[in-house]
Amino acid sequence: MFYIHNTVCISPQISFPDTDLDQLIICKDNKLYAKEVSYTDIPPAILRRMGKAVRLGVAASNPLFKLYDKLDGIIIGTSNGGMEDCIKFLNQIMHYEEGVLTPTNFVQSTPNAIASQLGFLSKNKGYNITHVHRGFAFENALLDAAMLLVSYPDNNYLLGGLDEISTYNFNIDYLCGYVKKETISNDDLYSGTTDGSIAGEGVAMFMVNNNSDGAVSKFRALQMLHTTDEKKLLTAFKTFLSNNLPQNETIDLFLSGENGDARYTKFYESAESILNKDTAAARFKHMSGEFRTASAFALWISNYIIKNQHIPPHMLKNAVKIKDINNIVIYNNYQGFQHSFMLLSKN
Amino acid sequence: MIKVFVTGLGIITSLGDSLESNREALKAGRCGIGKLYNFSTKYSESLLFGEIKLSNNHLKDFLNVKDLGVSRTSLLALHAFNQATADAGLTDKDFSSEDTALILANTVGGMCLTDELYQDSNQHDIGSENISSYDCGSVGVFLQARFGIAGIVNTINTACSSSANAVMYGCRLIKQGYAKKVIIGGTDSLAKFTINGFNSLHILSPGLCAPFDNNRNGLNLGEGAAFLVLEAEQDIADKKIYAEVKGYANANDAFHPSTLSENGDGPFLAMEEALKNAALNPSDIDFINTHGTGTENNDEVESKAMIRIFSNNLPAFASTKSNVGHTLGASGAVEAVYCILNLMHQEIYPSLNFKEPMADPGLIPNLLYHKKTIKNVMSNSFGFGGNCSSLIFSKV
Repeated sequence: MFYIHNTVCISPQISFPDTDLDQLIICKDNKLYAKEVSYTDIPPAILRRMGKAVRLGVAASNPLFKLYDKLDGIIIGTSNGGMEDCIKFLNQIMHYEEGVLTPTNFVQSTPNAIASQLGFLSKNKGYNITHVHRGFAFENALLDAAMLLVSYPDNNYLLGGLDEISTYNFNIDYLCGYVKKETISNDDLYSGTTDGSIAGEGVAMFMVNNNSDGAVSKFRALQMLHTTDEKKLLTAFKTFLSNNLPQNETIDLFLSGENGDARYTKFYESAESILNKDTAAARFKHMSGEFRTASAFALWISNYIIKNQHIPPHMLKNAVKIKDINNIVIYNNYQGFQHSFMLLSKN
Repeated sequence: MIKVFVTGLGIITSLGDSLESNREALKAGRCGIGKLYNFSTKYSESLLFGEIKLSNNHLKDFLNVKDLGVSRTSLLALHAFNQATADAGLTDKDFSSEDTALILANTVGGMCLTDELYQDSNQHDIGSENISSYDCGSVGVFLQARFGIAGIVNTINTACSSSANAVMYGCRLIKQGYAKKVIIGGTDSLAKFTINGFNSLHILSPGLCAPFDNNRNGLNLGEGAAFLVLEAEQDIADKKIYAEVKGYANANDAFHPSTLSENGDGPFLAMEEALKNAALNPSDIDFINTHGTGTENNDEVESKAMIRIFSNNLPAFASTKSNVGHTLGASGAVEAVYCILNLMHQEIYPSLNFKEPMADPGLIPNLLYHKKTIKNVMSNSFGFGGNCSSLIFSKV
């Protein structure tokens, strides 16, 4: 589909500007907050108005803008965008009984505020879009980029996925039963037998194009599936692999979106059941937490693993040792009904 | 290159709950904007709204919705979805085909339940029935589950240009083989949240909006939903065809979060690229359904951008926001349906409330209903964040 070049990820782990993923940062209160970074690149007057999601999105994109003279568009997947601002504006409406309100929170609360700030700050007048379809927000951004690069093969696009933990997200997700009732440590995420996961947030930005020169990896295939039936999931996973992975190639690493929610383990077990014994299996949500665009973190860390030919030991689920990491298959699902498969290969 | 045709239409606005009622109202120059009826806000008396005068309970009964927590945004969408898919003759078999995609656009989602959201997001006890219906994705999740849609499902939010981008995304899915049929829809309902948001920006008119008028003083918020069924040329067989989606483009103004740049680079680029995408010249456009919100900034900038594209040969143009208000995430789809009415019936509808041209550039919208030969229609949608998109529909 396309090649991935430079990337930036701001996550709860040590991922930017330095990267040390072997060390696992431990979370409190079932919330894995992204580590804020230095925002020296953003004018202070603009920074002050930015909510966290916008701030993180801009901080992750600025280093990439500097690397490319020609940028043809900005494609963002975010389920909720800047929800902290949304709730702030909502609280203003209630507290001031719809009186005289300041528009900043309203303007920053719209999910397209991130892509539009990026367009504004990089003076980019090209394609600019925000996909917001819950657990498929980032997947649709990926598909959008892939389609654009078929129509405009010489273009460069900034592709990203992000969401933030806000009062809104957390309380709503908690009330929906997406977050565990008991407090757990993220290094113990997969051993529980209860419902719910831990909340997470983060941003991953990718420069993508059709040029293999200097690229780290090749994004080869994407599939989305709606189902609540693990048998259908298994059939779809088999079809995905037979359609996209030539017979003389193997999956070196299976990256699973397991999130410690006992209700959804069956899907991951089902997909894993068809892997052969030479495939390593690893997990990432103890690093990122669960959020609707967590698959962007999964793609980022897969790219990192390919680039460094190294899997942080705490990610590994089995003891399979692999020499060369060429092909990574990512399987993620959101709340057991929005499933996605991705295939990423070493360039 | 695969051509993409429109084979089904569905619409509900303050002008009516069907294609025919909307057309009759447009022909007669009727306005659906008035006092708020369905819920109360501090601005119920002082502002006017393009509200659909059907209560949620009425819509639920009529649409046979028994599930809890279905927002008004989703109910309006369901109504237009039902019409459009029946119009195109889509069956359960089509819905469950992996070749049928559903692309939604909205900006409000379930936030029309502003008070309920406030309760749910500020507590840690028991959630209301609406707990999973607040986000923009909730509409698409609801329709996907209700009809078992098996193809690609997406929701786009680029503010007021959202559903224009949904049409564009849908066409691209068909052209690149990711779908054979795409159901696209824009929907938004009136909400205390958006009323207060737009009010805080001082761009709501206390009276009826007057697009392109010298004394215009803001927009009226509206609500509605419009759906279109898009199909690939080779799969249509002998179905009726409303129009071809001839061209589209998305560009960014890269200027300011809530105002357009003086020369309208974003609007200019959206129109220019859409023409290029359609392989048409400016002189091929017979009519423009403008974004035309009635705000000081939009109408002036849009006028300038249109002059940059069309110079002295500006085609007839109008703003249907003077009929239904600004339906935000639905507006691109609502106006796409109106453009198709223009093409189908070879007629154009009057822009309302215009009295006096602006000093500069002084453009005059179409003010009378009349028959007109129309081959290609352009529809503009510009949103906050500089998100500008233009679509071109052509007679088949």
